[in-house]
Amino acid sequence: MKEMENDLMPIVIKGQDIHKRYVMGKDNYVDALQGASIEVEEGGMVAVMGPSGSGKSTLLHILGCLDSLDSGEVWLDGRRVDDLGGGDLTKLRREEVGFIFQTFNLVSSMNALENVALAAQYAGKGRREAREAAEAAMARVGLADRQKHRPSELSGGQQQRVAIARALVNSPRVIFGDEPTGNLDSASSEEIVAMMHSINNETGTTFVLVTHDPGVAEACGHVIHMLDGKVRE
Amino acid sequence: MQVLRNVFRRKLRVFLTISGITIGVLALVVMGSMAEKINLMVSGGTRYYSDKVTVNAEGSGAMFSTGPLSLGKLQEIKNVPGVAEVSGSIGALLETGSSMSFGMPAMIIGSDMRGDNLENFKIGYSQGQTIGPNDVGSVVVGSDLVSKLSAKVGEYITVRGEQFKVAGIMDKTLTAPDSSVYMTLSDAQRLFMQDLPEMVRSQINAADIVTSFVVYPTKDTDPEALAATINDTVSGVTATGPSAFKEQIASVTGIFNAILYGIAIISLVVGGLSVINTMTMSVSERTREIGVRKAIGASDGQIVRQFLTEAGVIGLIGGVSGLFLGWIAATIVNAALESRNLNLFVVTPRLAIGAVVFAVVLGLVSGLYPSLHAARMRPVAALRYE
Repeated sequence: MKEMENDLMPIVIKGQDIHKRYVMGKDNYVDALQGASIEVEEGGMVAVMGPSGSGKSTLLHILGCLDSLDSGEVWLDGRRVDDLGGGDLTKLRREEVGFIFQTFNLVSSMNALENVALAAQYAGKGRREAREAAEAAMARVGLADRQKHRPSELSGGQQQRVAIARALVNSPRVIFGDEPTGNLDSASSEEIVAMMHSINNETGTTFVLVTHDPGVAEACGHVIHMLDGKVRE
Repeated sequence: MQVLRNVFRRKLRVFLTISGITIGVLALVVMGSMAEKINLMVSGGTRYYSDKVTVNAEGSGAMFSTGPLSLGKLQEIKNVPGVAEVSGSIGALLETGSSMSFGMPAMIIGSDMRGDNLENFKIGYSQGQTIGPNDVGSVVVGSDLVSKLSAKVGEYITVRGEQFKVAGIMDKTLTAPDSSVYMTLSDAQRLFMQDLPEMVRSQINAADIVTSFVVYPTKDTDPEALAATINDTVSGVTATGPSAFKEQIASVTGIFNAILYGIAIISLVVGGLSVINTMTMSVSERTREIGVRKAIGASDGQIVRQFLTEAGVIGLIGGVSGLFLGWIAATIVNAALESRNLNLFVVTPRLAIGAVVFAVVLGLVSGLYPSLHAARMRPVAALRYE
């Protein structure tokens, strides 16, 4: 493991010259990332903006260990992770990172509490321990009274709060959000942004949010712009 | 609970899949219980014949012949070296006119009981007691015939129009004695005479007739070798050793078993294919969910386990309901055939456990490919799936 030094806050995520090509067929491909580089300070709240197809989501997925890269490097908390195998990546996703998606992506057959507890169980917690951690996370997002509700019985804003609780339950270093307010009305969006902001302030959890929403960008301390698979700050 | 909720997400489809397995297990249980019944009869017979030689009239079609023999042969056979005791017996159908049907027909067995103290095939009595060679007019009734003959110890039953007092009721053996009525040799000889044509009857003496001899070898004599010696030295009889029973019966029932189980296995394979189909569709429908689960930290092993458990539960539910329905079917058919003295099915514990275990394994094996497919999905590709 190699430690990285920084004058101010330590860098928690670093992407270096990342290339990613999606091949759809013979002579049909998309160069989603063409040498993207990014650094995120620990405890930061970063918005990644840019037009559709600029590579925002691809960058987020690669930084969050959900997708592989063709060339370049990814460092998470001082550790190079782009060359790790499947088992190590699974461990990282359990312990170091959390995800929030545009479409919430809760498991529809489970109630809110079970959805949150699932992530804790995957991280190795026992049933009871996972449940207690999930209850605490649900309380943190203000949904202590909605634990038994299925996702279909919750509003969009509430579902996204459950998703935030799920991302929080294992106390990750970084939470990645892919258009977290993209499916919400403006009131719910503001609520979600405020919640992420307060979590960031209280716990120091780093947020990296891909967004089109100026409100989200405004709430973030740092905005990164992307175009044609590259970062242009 | 979560597993059941996932399994029953698509209720109709899962119901149809479970029905497929249920029908397969039903077939396995029904066919298997028929085979088990035959196996028990055969193993009982194999055990009974394992230490003795059976002697029938020559040319009368070997072991189960009811062709008449003269009791005079008894002494001749007894003189053969290696013979410890010879017992004369009569075997006749309980009801004249009944033909050999599936399983064993109900029989009247009369014996002089000379070999009883050498008999290793011991039968217990659930009520009453056994009869001796002089208990003329008394009978012992096999367990399957109790209700048919309305037999009660101490009371009388009618056999071939004659009244006999019930001395005892035998324990269930699951083999031939269950459907037999035992009586003294002289009683059986009298009943047997009724079967013979008038012309034959007038020429022979009832007290001289038997249909077979049971020969008990001395301790160190091989029954197979003894049968050969009897064939060589005693004229007019055919002696058969233990292997003849196996050859005649066991090999035929082996093929029969293979056919029965074959039919059941085919129906289970069809059930297994429908589990593969259901689980593959389930994996495909839940691609996004699999992506989410992987994104929040599920390992490949955990995804495999999740879908395998669901497939196993489908197998388990199908197996248990198939067993239940099969058991009901066997019980109903047995009850319906009781009056005809046909006890066709025996659902043994090993068959019941085997059928359910088989269904679960079938579910697991069928679920393996869809589960591995689910586990191997790349999280991002699965998340993008619409």
